[in-house]
Amino acid sequence: MDKGAAADLLVAGIGGAAGGTYNHVSLEGVSRINGPVTAMTFTGNGRMKVGGSLTVEQMETNGDLKIGGGLRIGTMKHDGLLKVDGGLLGESFTLNGVADIKGDCELEKFTAEGVVTIGGFLSAGCVELVLQGQAKVKELGVESLVIRKGGSGVWNKLAGGIIPKLRPELQAKVIEGDFLDLEYTTAEVVRGAVIIIGEGCSIGRVEYRDRLTVHPGASVGMEEKTGE
Amino acid sequence: MEEDLISKKELLDLTGISYGQLYRWKRKQLIPESWFIRKSTYTGQETFFPKERMLGRIQHILSKKDDLSLDELAGKLSDMSSVHKQLLTIKEVRERNIVSSVTLERYGQCDKDEHKYSFEQLIHLVAVDLLLGKGELSLEEADLLHRTLSVNRTQFEGKRWELFFARKMGVSFFLQAPAPSELVFDEGVRLISRITLEDLTEQLQGKLG
Repeated sequence: MDKGAAADLLVAGIGGAAGGTYNHVSLEGVSRINGPVTAMTFTGNGRMKVGGSLTVEQMETNGDLKIGGGLRIGTMKHDGLLKVDGGLLGESFTLNGVADIKGDCELEKFTAEGVVTIGGFLSAGCVELVLQGQAKVKELGVESLVIRKGGSGVWNKLAGGIIPKLRPELQAKVIEGDFLDLEYTTAEVVRGAVIIIGEGCSIGRVEYRDRLTVHPGASVGMEEKTGE
Repeated sequence: MEEDLISKKELLDLTGISYGQLYRWKRKQLIPESWFIRKSTYTGQETFFPKERMLGRIQHILSKKDDLSLDELAGKLSDMSSVHKQLLTIKEVRERNIVSSVTLERYGQCDKDEHKYSFEQLIHLVAVDLLLGKGELSLEEADLLHRTLSVNRTQFEGKRWELFFARKMGVSFFLQAPAPSELVFDEGVRLISRITLEDLTEQLQGKLG
């Protein structure tokens, strides 16, 4: 896109727009954009709603963001709530909060602390996930994946005991990757080269090529070494 | 004709590539989404690939990835225009080993070394050569194929097409149809080969480097 050719979109307070192509989009307060948006940069604070798909080179948002279509980004940082009705395609995504993505995700780098739900397939170069509640991803295919448990405070423990949704845990059907370092993960199948199954994991079947380490506090149904 | 499939596990064992690489290439669109075929097996859902095409593509990526970045490679794979403009003399075709000498001598048409082949002509040669090389074609059938392709050239110019080669009760015939197409034959027909223009272009491109 030719930079400078498109106008900026600025919303402060309560406002809206029709969508379109912009150079820079800045949303402060409560804003609603009805159609799809394409922009070079996007910053936002507050409640934001985009009616269609969103394509942004660089994006930084705080608050509650809803996107009615797919999200295509260069780099993105989001704190707060994020809901994407389509898929997510991009280079790098840093999340602090809660994300619900309906479709597939394709990212080079995905760093998240909080709660993540991905309805489709997560394909990424490098994933780092700190669990603050129940994360759900249908399938993962990655180069490197590190899952850690956050929220180890007393209140979190108490709340997790009462409300299962708040118990830090990752649920997936299949996890595949070169380097997998898991904690508190429930999966049917885990396949990879180097696999570390940490505390609190419950895995149906593990297929590894080079190395497998299983924590005594984890349960693994079946182990198999492949590629001999 | 059911295309030969290979499971993901077999593929990785066979080629030595890792899950990470496979998914990375998929993300970079070096491997088309449609090649990931999901099937239920007794161990649950598994992913399969069209064997020949996938192995060819991986070989192609592995041989080129040291010289080009993945993005450049993806651009090259999707950008067929450079191949379309290619004009090669018969000498170059021979030197670069694009088709076997049998094919070239029989269908090359020209004895002059300066004669230039257009993209279409090269593709036709590659098609004939591919099927001959697989041993699925007799030389007479190859004649028929080459004639069919040449005669219909203008009709399919600039379009995507597929070639079907089928036999019924010993009688062989070719069908050239715009892609993507689904053809249904009666029971007695055996579909021996099915090639798309993309497959051929890729073959050609691989050899042109």
